[in-house]
This record gives sequence, structure tokens and C-alpha cells, in this order.
Amino acid sequence: MEKIFLKSDLGKSFEDYEFSGLKNSLKMEQTQVIDKIKDSVLKGRGGAGFPAGIKWETAYHVEDDIKFVVCNADEGEPGTFKDRFLMENLPYKVIEGIVICGYAIGSKYGYIYIRGEYTQAIKIIRKTIQKMYERNILGNNILGTDFSFDIKLVRGAGAYVCGDETSLINSIEGERGMSRIKPPLPVFEGLYGKPTVVNNVETLSAAAEIMKYDYNPYLQLGTEKSKGTKLVSISGDVYKPGVYEVEFGKMTVKEIVNELAGGVKGSGLGFVIPGGISTEVLTENEWDVPYTYEDLFKIGTNIGSGGMIVVSKDRNYLEIIKNVSDFFRDETCGTCFPCREGNKNINKMVSEIYERGYPMKKEIEIISDIKNAVSLAARCGFGEASVNLILSILENFYAKKVK
Amino acid sequence: MKVKINNKEYEFQEELSILDAVKKAHIIIPTLCYSEKLKPFGSCRLCSVEIKGERTLKPACVTKISNGMEIYTHSEKVRKVRSTIMELIIASHGISCNLNCLTCSKSASCEIKVIAEEIGIMEVRVPPISSRVPEDRSSYSIVREPQKCIVCDRCVRKCAEVQSVNILTIANRGPDTYVTTFLDKGMGNVDCVNCGQCVIECPTGALHEVYQTDQVWNVISDNSKYVIVQTAPAVRVAIAEEFGAEPGRIVTKQLVTGLRLLGFDKVFDTNFSADLTIMEEASEFLERFKNGGKLPLFTSCSPGWIKFIEHNYPEFLDNLSTCKSPQQMFGAIAKTYYADKIGIPREDMIVVSIMPCTAKKYERVRPEMKGDVDYVLTTRELAKMFKLAGIDLLNLPSEEYDEPLGITTGAAAIFGATGGVMEAALRTAYEVITGKTLERLDFESVRGIEGIKEAVIEIDGLKLNVAVVNGLGNARKMLDMIKNGEKDYHFIEFMACPGGCIGGGGQPIPTTKEILSKRMKAIYEIDKSFEIRKSHENPAIQALYKEFLGEPLSEKSHELLHTTYIARS
Amino acid sequence: MEKYYEKELLEELHDIQETYGFISEEDILRISEKRDIPKAHLYGVISFYSMFHLKPTGKYIIKVCDSVSCSLNHSADIVKVIKEHLGIGENETTRDKKFSLEVVECLGHCDEGPVMIINDTYYTHLTTNKVVQILDNLD
Repeated sequence: MEKIFLKSDLGKSFEDYEFSGLKNSLKMEQTQVIDKIKDSVLKGRGGAGFPAGIKWETAYHVEDDIKFVVCNADEGEPGTFKDRFLMENLPYKVIEGIVICGYAIGSKYGYIYIRGEYTQAIKIIRKTIQKMYERNILGNNILGTDFSFDIKLVRGAGAYVCGDETSLINSIEGERGMSRIKPPLPVFEGLYGKPTVVNNVETLSAAAEIMKYDYNPYLQLGTEKSKGTKLVSISGDVYKPGVYEVEFGKMTVKEIVNELAGGVKGSGLGFVIPGGISTEVLTENEWDVPYTYEDLFKIGTNIGSGGMIVVSKDRNYLEIIKNVSDFFRDETCGTCFPCREGNKNINKMVSEIYERGYPMKKEIEIISDIKNAVSLAARCGFGEASVNLILSILENFYAKKVK
Repeated sequence: MKVKINNKEYEFQEELSILDAVKKAHIIIPTLCYSEKLKPFGSCRLCSVEIKGERTLKPACVTKISNGMEIYTHSEKVRKVRSTIMELIIASHGISCNLNCLTCSKSASCEIKVIAEEIGIMEVRVPPISSRVPEDRSSYSIVREPQKCIVCDRCVRKCAEVQSVNILTIANRGPDTYVTTFLDKGMGNVDCVNCGQCVIECPTGALHEVYQTDQVWNVISDNSKYVIVQTAPAVRVAIAEEFGAEPGRIVTKQLVTGLRLLGFDKVFDTNFSADLTIMEEASEFLERFKNGGKLPLFTSCSPGWIKFIEHNYPEFLDNLSTCKSPQQMFGAIAKTYYADKIGIPREDMIVVSIMPCTAKKYERVRPEMKGDVDYVLTTRELAKMFKLAGIDLLNLPSEEYDEPLGITTGAAAIFGATGGVMEAALRTAYEVITGKTLERLDFESVRGIEGIKEAVIEIDGLKLNVAVVNGLGNARKMLDMIKNGEKDYHFIEFMACPGGCIGGGGQPIPTTKEILSKRMKAIYEIDKSFEIRKSHENPAIQALYKEFLGEPLSEKSHELLHTTYIARS
Repeated sequence: MEKYYEKELLEELHDIQETYGFISEEDILRISEKRDIPKAHLYGVISFYSMFHLKPTGKYIIKVCDSVSCSLNHSADIVKVIKEHLGIGENETTRDKKFSLEVVECLGHCDEGPVMIINDTYYTHLTTNKVVQILDNLD
């Protein structure tokens, strides 16, 4: 069953929304807010899964007059649309999360970077920001406190890789959206060289939701290592695609597909892509796995962005590989050699495989070597994960059969 | 700080990059996008190393060592990743069975070849992927072959960080990422100054000079033409490197012999016209100084510098000396005075220059002085011609330059290094102003490889503020300081390339800091070896004025030896 | 914090793109001068982002998603119909400068595919018939 937590204010109008998460936070010490987020073990919901509380705490301790909060709304992972869902349906909660983070780390300046294609979300967020200024939930002396905070909206311009936090920072600065060399991490030196927390839309919304309660709701939700809930975007060969909220550990992937998304269309399951096209597939033997970070990790895949794509066994998997490879070939920033050239070469091989109808052993071997090089030596997380899905399909469905 | 490298313990005082630390341990890690003069970029990933406790490999060029770090530079994991990356680079570089290595401009200095050997690559399993970006032949000086470009960004960084010329960029993304100019207009149609520092920096054959060797072969064998050649001061201290000699080896006299063997009718020296430049430029300076003319006076020998100021600082054009560069002065004199003197019709006289410079190829075609020089070859191109003719340069017997345009002085020799023009001018200016003999000829304060040097020179109670600038990034700094009123000088020497002409874009590759200082040392050795070390004492120059020009800044001088500039912004 | 209160480069480019349908050489030169960014570098930045065009585009820019989920829902058929109906290929503009066609990555409506966006408006659950109607109804 769907667990309604983050979605609990769904349908509320802006006028009815109380911003209790922010109001509660402003009554607390900054460190208390940070501690609450830390205790909740809220992990970054964009895909990397880094604990938000630790980011906030680090940024809080870095001494600087100027710090930034950047909300990463550059959702571009195919199969993922939960951030759009949040921005279109709970825009005030998204912004509220940014303001809370700003208060906690001692920042006065926020950004929300929304991918340019999300025209509707952009309009809604723009309007929400305006209304929040009017109600003094943004601007100087927010709600009569000493805390002041501004937010600016920046539109992305059609580059998937800007979802990487350092690429996104470069993009806001008006640079090519290529990743930066780490260290320094953005919490020490980020936007315009200043300490910067970059958090995903869902992460910040969840933070706002957590702060709404007098107690810590996350402590009662999920498993020990995966606390809280996750928005799962489901699409592909299912009867009821959409955004569903799932409490960690309470459902298996199979249950999510069958019970929430109405089951697999066609003559049965081929595989599930569990968290966007940077994650390894789950086959019919594997999909009865509890939906948690740890359980998915154990069987060699990942929660990722929560973008679940279900593929029936009637499909031509090679067509899917080709589609995914086209994506990574075109969307790599083109800076580091293994990612740029690796994905280019894989694409060439995959196109040939698709034309031929089956792969050769040698091709799988080369793709596997490229995956190894990319995942060990690429410049950023996007590069590292770019071959995961392609290789997992080849290995699961073709490796044993080919010569 | 204690660090383990391949299980052996080392101690370092500073917070080095892994790459620098490993170098001190005498271990070589392959690099492509790294260059000692540029900010690290971290794109080729070839220098990735394994660090104990880290999930992924880390690029050695941008990762700093820390206490207790355990680094594995060549573990199996590392070797495998490097080998795969190398396969991909080779595939991207368009090397195929019709092996373009042999015909490549960098066949002898290709970094990819060196690295392939370091990595021990045995097989390339992925076929070459061709780039669809067309060649750029829009420039008179430089050709770009994107097919061979691996997008390491070194040319882009060199152009921006060192030269501040900023005409190159990486454009697009993904598979179509490529190096280009503003709106793909081509290097000949943007603010490129033709300095060729990008060529020096390029690890592959993607950038090279516009070759004129074929034309020169043709004209040498054309009996109806009288073909003379001039050699720039920086060529003789560098060309030996192309034949495997230690940097800094002086081969002036072998160079002369070699050029005769190639079939030039006369072998002359640009140093002759360098002396002539000093006569004109020192006089110009003194005239401006006395009559309240525009100061500071900027030198005008370096065509890269000239185009830079025309594009970026047109408000300073009046500060430029109107003197043509030595290359152009040579041509102008050869085709008038010398042609008449030996009775050759002026139109049959062909002047070829051997230059350390790619910008000289552009200077030759500038409309203000078109016709002075017919062909310009770089040091590298001449080396290629020697090799093609089977000339064993290093072991040739010594021969002298022809007269009179081969009679030169020590003052001219030092034109090849940053500070040389200034020093040569000071030697002459001193004696012209004071009428006394200059005892100590060495102006140490203007020598050396630093980007900006300043000195106050006292001449008979007169204090001259001078500065010497090399590298266009430093030129920009200097001009901005003057603009903001922070600095005030009488005379400034500017050279486009780091180190001056010895570091020119047409010089042997590699040109490192270490190599530069060896070439520089050689230049000053040549100066010392001359009995006459002041331009105005050059007897051939004295004769030229007596027989033909009259005196410096005469009407004839102005007609033949001076030029004009245009604002290009 | 001057930079924070300035308009970001991407926002400025978006505004030009929206107003004129493309970013002209004059625009780049002007921005280069104003922001003191070398023009080659600015070109490098603009060409990185696929939403910015350096050549004029049609009045309507049609972007059809062909990422995995839409592809499973036969987005290829949608692209084919548009090409046939308008007589243009990918990244081309009709002669009357009315339509430009692009095939793009995930538009984030994977549950409602196939999807396209024309300028600011999303169209979901597309069928080949529906697409033709939509195009015909635009003036």
C-alpha cells in the first residue's frame, strides 16, 4: 500500500498551507534543525544517496559570510518524474525545504535550478516564490524573525549532465555544464567559490515534511538503514504508471509493480529498471526484493533516482540497450576521455548488435572493460554509472548464450 | 608527511599532487591532458592511480597526497583501466591501417606514441571513429586537423591562460565535443595572433604550421630565380634538437653549410637586419624622447605581439615603434640595395626566411609590407627539409655566412631571447647619447626567463625606465597596468612567446622551461663570442647607410624599413 | 554579493532564445562585451546546451521525447508522422518557418507517453492521429 507522508499535503492550496516545518525550524537553534535532519538519516534522493544532515552540518561549520543553498531540480534521468510531480503539486513545500536548509546552515541565498523543459513547473515555482515573498516567507526578516533569505530561479537549458551537483554549479555560473574536480567538495567551495549545499527537490521537501512534526517521523518509518519514504516514478509496461510513495522496507519491488502500478502488461516480466537508466536491472528472479537502499545494493543495483521502468518480456531488449546507449553517448559532458569515448564506442557496438540481433562474446567483453574503466576512472558520478544498465542487460540475458 | 608509493615509504614536506610526489620517487605515470605550465584539467584520466581504501581510482594530477596515503601507481587494476582508456583514445584519434602516423606533423614528437609504449598497449579492439569536423585551413600560419584532436584542452588552456588570446574553445557536448574558434569561423578569421603556442602544446598532430616547404623546394630548383635565405637568431640554438642533440647546442655554421647544400644561392642572416632594426629603433626612441613623442615606446619585432595589440589594445598603437621587424627589413633591403648591388633584377630575387615563429608566416602577407619576403619556414620545417635531403646537420663542416647581409654582431644575436632587443638597443643608445664607449655591455637586469622584468638604466645622469615582457598574458597585464596609471616607462620590449623567440611557435617540440633556459644560455654564448657586440659598429650596416640609406630615419629608411598598423577591434 | 543579484548568463540566453527564436552573432558579441567573457568561450558555453539555437528556428519548436519509457510507447511512430506531415527531418525547420522538429531526451512525463512539447505546452498520450490534429490547429 502507498504510504502517504510526503504527499500528505497534496491538494492543499497555497493559502491553506501553513509552513509549519519552517515555523518550527525558526523556533529552534540552527544546530537543532541539523540534528533532527541528521537523526532522520535522510539520504539524498537525487540518486547518490548522501545523507543530507551531514552535508548541512558540514556547511554549517564552514565559516563564511556567504553560503548558498541550491535546490537541484534538473530532473532528467529517464523514467524519473517525481521532482516534477512535487514542483507542480507541492511547490510551497519544495521552497519551504530550501528556506529551512538556508536557516540551518546560515545562508541567505538560495537557488532553484529547474530543467528548462519543465515549463509548467517553472511557471508554478515562479509564482510560488512570488507569493512567498508577499507573505514574508521569503525576503527580509522572515515571519518576523532575524532570518532573511532570498531565492532565485535559474532554468537549465537541455543538458542532462547538469544534474551532477558540480556541473549544476558551473551551469549557474554561466559555464559549460561539466563536472568540477573534487576535492574541494561544494560544501567547502561551491557556487562562486562559496560553501554550497546542493540538495535534490525530494530531499528538501522531505526535510520540510520532517520539520513539520514535533517528533521525528522518520524514526518510525522505513528500516534502520533506509529511513522514511521514497517517491517512486513508475512507467513502462504497467497498467497504472505514476508517482507512488513507498515506505522503505514495507514493499518489495514486485509488490510495488503489481499492487501500486497495476501489474505488468503483456505476457510477463522481462525486467525492472529500479532507479533510472543508470542502475542495473532486476530480473524475474530478483524483483521480489524489499525496496530499501541496502537490499537493492546487496543484489548489485541501486535505488537511484527512484525512476522505475518496467519492461515486459515481449520487448526487444537490444532496442532498449540502443536507446539507453544513445542517451549516454549524447548526454556525457564530453570532458573526460573514458566517459566520452567509452560511450561513443559502446554506442557503435550496440548499434551493430541491434542490427545483427544478438551480441558477440567479444563485444560483451569490450563493453565490460569499458564499464570497468568508466566506473573506476570517470570524472563524475554520471560517467561512473553510465554503462551499468547496458552491461547488466547483456550479462543477464545474452552472456551465457553467445559465442 | 609520510606516503607509501607502491609499498615503499617516502616522506614529503609539502602538500604535493600525487603526480609530483611520484615523480620525485622516479616513477613515471602517463599523462596527456596535463602540462606543467597549465592548470590541471583532469580529463584524460590516464594518470589515475589506486589509493588504498578508495572505491574509485584517483587522477594523480589533481589529487593531493595526504599523510598515511598508500598509492599504487601501476597495480593490475590501474594498468587495465589505463589500457582500456588508451584503446579508446587511439580509436578516437582516427589512427587506422592506412597509418597516418608516418605522414603526421608530429611523427617524431607524438605524445600518444610515447604513452602507448608506456602503457604497453598490445591490441586496439575498437575501430577508429572519424571526426566529422572539417580541417581549418583559414589561417596563414596554423592548420588544425580535428581528426587528430583528442580534446585534451591543452591548446585552449595555453591560448587562454598563458597567452590570454582566448580564441579557442571547446564547443558542443557529448560525442560532438570538439575544439574550435568563435562560431567555427576558423583561426584565420578570428583574433588569433598566430603565435603558435597551441602548436607547441598539442600532444598530437592536430595543430601544425602551414607548410611552405614544397614551394621552397620548387623555387630552389628554379634556375631563373636568385634565391637567398635568412636565418633568425633563435633557429641556430634550437634546430639541433630536431636531430637528437642536447638542447642548447649551437650549430650556426653547420646551419649555413646545410642551407648551401639545399641549394640556396646565398645564405644570409636575419641578425644583419636585427642590427639595422636597432639603428632605426634606437634612433626612433631618442627622437621621441627628445621631442616629446609618444612614450613608452613599444618594440615591434614580434608579429604575434603586433596582432595582439591591434586586436586588443588599439589605443596603444601609437606607442608601437614604426620599425618593421628584422625579417621584413631584411627582405626590403635584399630586394633593393642588395639586388641592385649584385645586378639581379629585383623581381627575380626570392627571399626565404627560416624563423622560430609561425606568426612570421602571417607577417609576410600583411598588405603593409607584402613582397619583402616570399616564403617563411619554421625551424621544424627546415629540419624536415634537411632530413629529406639527407643532410646530417650535426656533423656538417663549418661555413660562414655570405657577405654583406651575413655580417652581424653580438647585439643582434641576443634578439632571440627575451630582453635581447632591449639590451641591444641600450648598448647603442648609450653610445649615441653619451658619445662615450660603453664599458660593461651586459645588462643583466633585462635578462632571464621571467615574464615581466623592469630596470632603471642610468645614462649620463639620465634615468631610463625600461621593461621587458614576454608571453602575451604578461603583455596584457603590463598594458592594463599602464592603462590604469600604475606603471610608467620610457621603453618596453614585448615578445609574444614565453622566453622570446627561443620559445617561438615554430621551434622544436617539446619546448619546456628547462629547454628554454638552455637555448637562452646558448644565445648569450653566441653574443660573447663576437668581437663586435654593438649594432652601430657593424661595418656592413655602416656601409649600408653610407651607400644607400643615408642615415637612420631618413626618407629612404622610412620608405623601406618602417610600417603602419591598424586597429582591428 | 553582486553576482547573486545579477541575471545569470543562462537566464539571459533563455530570454533571447524565447524572444527571437535563436541567439545571433550580434547577441553573443554584445554579451561578450558586457560580461567580459571571451567570445570563443561564450560560444563554447552556448553550444553546450541543446535548448539554445544559433540559427533561426520555427515559430513552434516541437520536441518529441524518445527516451526509454516513451520509446516503449512508440514515440518513433510519432516522430515519423510529424516528419511526414511537415516534410522536415530532425533539427530542421519548415520552409514557412512555422515548425522546427527536435527529438529530445526524457521530458519527465514518462507515465503519460508518448509526449511532446511545443514551445511551452505539453501534449501527452499522443497518437498518430492526435499529433496531426494538434499541428493543424496551431496558427
